Amino acid sequence: MDNLLWRSSKWASKMIAMVIVCLALCWVIVPFLWAIGNSIKTHTDVFRRGAIIPFLQFTPTLDSWKEVLGDPQTLNCLFSSTLVGVGTTALVLLIGTPAAYSLARFEFKRMKSKDITLWFLSQRVMPPVVVLSPFYILLAEIGMIDTWTGLILLYSTFNLAFCVVIMRDIFRDVSKEVEEAARMEGASLWQIFWMIALPLSLDGLIVTAFIVFAFCWNEALFASAVTSQHAATMPTLILASRSTRGVDFSSAGVNTILAIAPPVILSFFVQRYLARGLSFGAVKG
Amino acid sequence: MEVNELVQSKAERGFKYALLAPAVIWIVGLTFVPILAAIRYSFANYALGEGITAYVGFSNYARLLTDGSFWYSLYITLIYVLVTVPIEVCVGFVLAWIITIGVPGSKYFRPILTAPLFTMEVAIGYLGVTLFTDQGGLYSTILGALGIHIEWLSTAAGGLGAAMILDIWIWTPFVFLMSLATLGAIPSDIFDAAMLEASSHWQVFRHVAIPLAWPVLTIAILLRVLEGFKAFGLPYALTSGGPGTSTQLFSVMADLTTIQFTDFGRGSAMGILYLIMVSIVITFFFKQMRKRIN
Repeated sequence: MDNLLWRSSKWASKMIAMVIVCLALCWVIVPFLWAIGNSIKTHTDVFRRGAIIPFLQFTPTLDSWKEVLGDPQTLNCLFSSTLVGVGTTALVLLIGTPAAYSLARFEFKRMKSKDITLWFLSQRVMPPVVVLSPFYILLAEIGMIDTWTGLILLYSTFNLAFCVVIMRDIFRDVSKEVEEAARMEGASLWQIFWMIALPLSLDGLIVTAFIVFAFCWNEALFASAVTSQHAATMPTLILASRSTRGVDFSSAGVNTILAIAPPVILSFFVQRYLARGLSFGAVKG
Repeated sequence: MEVNELVQSKAERGFKYALLAPAVIWIVGLTFVPILAAIRYSFANYALGEGITAYVGFSNYARLLTDGSFWYSLYITLIYVLVTVPIEVCVGFVLAWIITIGVPGSKYFRPILTAPLFTMEVAIGYLGVTLFTDQGGLYSTILGALGIHIEWLSTAAGGLGAAMILDIWIWTPFVFLMSLATLGAIPSDIFDAAMLEASSHWQVFRHVAIPLAWPVLTIAILLRVLEGFKAFGLPYALTSGGPGTSTQLFSVMADLTTIQFTDFGRGSAMGILYLIMVSIVITFFFKQMRKRIN
C-alpha cells in the first residue's frame, strides 16, 4: 500500500493514529498475558489483590500445569476436540467441495445456482438453538449421545452449508479458459475438477478447512449438550469444571491456554482469504 | 457432432447432480427435517425414553408468551446485540482504516489484532471471571485505581456489562478483518486523489472510505447481529446466567430449559419463536447477499 495518505497527514493525526493502534494492541494482548499469568499462579494467588506481575508480586509455579497435564481427562478432551475437529473438517470438505464446484460451474433447470447457494446459506445463519431439541432427541434415539460420531454428525451439518457457499465463490475465480483447454485435451469432467480446479483453489480450501476446524474446536452449546464423559471436548471440560470442582481457577487457567492456543496459532498461517471466508464471499480479497 | 454434444451434455448433467446431491440430501435431512420435528415437538410433551406423551396444542407457546422470564431473556439479548455490534463496527472500521493508511509496522499488527476472533468463548468467559472479580481481578483493579467501582459479577448489569466487554474483545476483529479486506481492495489512487482534493484526513475517511466500504460493512453488521443473537458460551461461562436468572441470554435459557430440565416441548417452542423473530434480520441479510453473490 502506498503511504501517500500517511505522509500527507498532519503530525497530530499521525500521533492520534499511533496512540489508537498502541491502545488496541494492549487491549488485545493483555487478556492473553493474564491467562498465562493465571496458569502459573497458585489457587489463592488468582484471587489475591495485587498479584499481577510474576516474581515481583507472586511466585510463579508450574504446579497447575503438572496437575492438568497429568490428568487423563484433560488429555482425553484434547484428543476428542482434535478428532472431532479433524473428522468434521474432512467430512465437510468431502461432501461440500464437490457440491460447491457443481454450483460454481453449472446451471440447473428448476433453480438458478445462485438461489441454491442462498438456500444453503439460509441454513448457516439460523440460530442453532432452534434445532437443539430435535438434534438431542435424534442422537438419543440412535444411541449416539456422548459419542464422537454423533458430534461429528452435528458439526458437519452446521458447517456443510458454509463450505458450499465459500468454496463456490472460490471456484468461480478459477478461469474457465484453463478448464476449457483441459477439456479440449480430452480430460473428463471429473479430472478437470480433481486435477485442475481443486489444486488451483488450494488456498481457499485451506482457509475453509481452518474456519471449520476452529468452529468445531470452539463450539460449546451442542458440545456441552450431547457430550459429558467419553466424547467430551474442551468446551465441555471447561464448563464442567464449574460444577465438579467448584472451579479451580489456576487449573482452569491452564485449560484456557490449551483451549485457546491451537486455533489462534493456526490463524497466523492462514491470513490470506480469511476475510473472504468469514464473510461467505461478500468480501473479495 | 450433434450426437457428441448430446452425449457430453448428458454426462455433464449426471456429473453436476452427482456432485450436488449428497450435500443437498444432507442439509434437507439434517436441518429441514429437524426444524419440522421441532415444530412437531413444540406442540407436544416429550419425555426421554417414552417419546411424545401427549399433544398439548398451543399450550407450550401460551406458557412462554405469558412468561416474564422468556421476555426478559429476549430483552437482554436485544440489549446485548444493540450495545456490542455498534461498538465493534466503529472500532473495527477505524482500526482497519488506520492500518490501511499505513501506520508504521502495520504489517505485523494484523495477525495480532485478529487473534481474539479464534479464541474459545467459554475459555474467555472463565478468564473473564478472573479479570473482573473484585478480589484481585485485573480490570476491576485498574478501574478501581481510576476511582470506578463496579460490582461486575454480582449484579445483572455488571455481569452483562462484563460479558459485553469480552464480546467486544472477541468480535471487533471480525469487523476489523472485513473492513481491512474491503479497504485494501479499493485502489490506493482513489484515496491519494481524494487526499489532494480534500482539506482534511477526516473528510477522506468520512466521504470516501465509508461510502466505498459501506456495502460490505452492511453485510459485516448483519452477520454480527445474527451471531450476536446466537451468543451462548461467553455469557454462560462468565456468569452461568446468574445472579439468579438475571443474565440468562436467550440461548442460555433455551439450553437450560432443553438440556438441564429436559423440557423438549417448551425448548422447541422457544426455538421456533426465536427463529420467527430473528428471521427479520435474516431477510435483510439475504437481500444484501443476493446483490453480492454472482
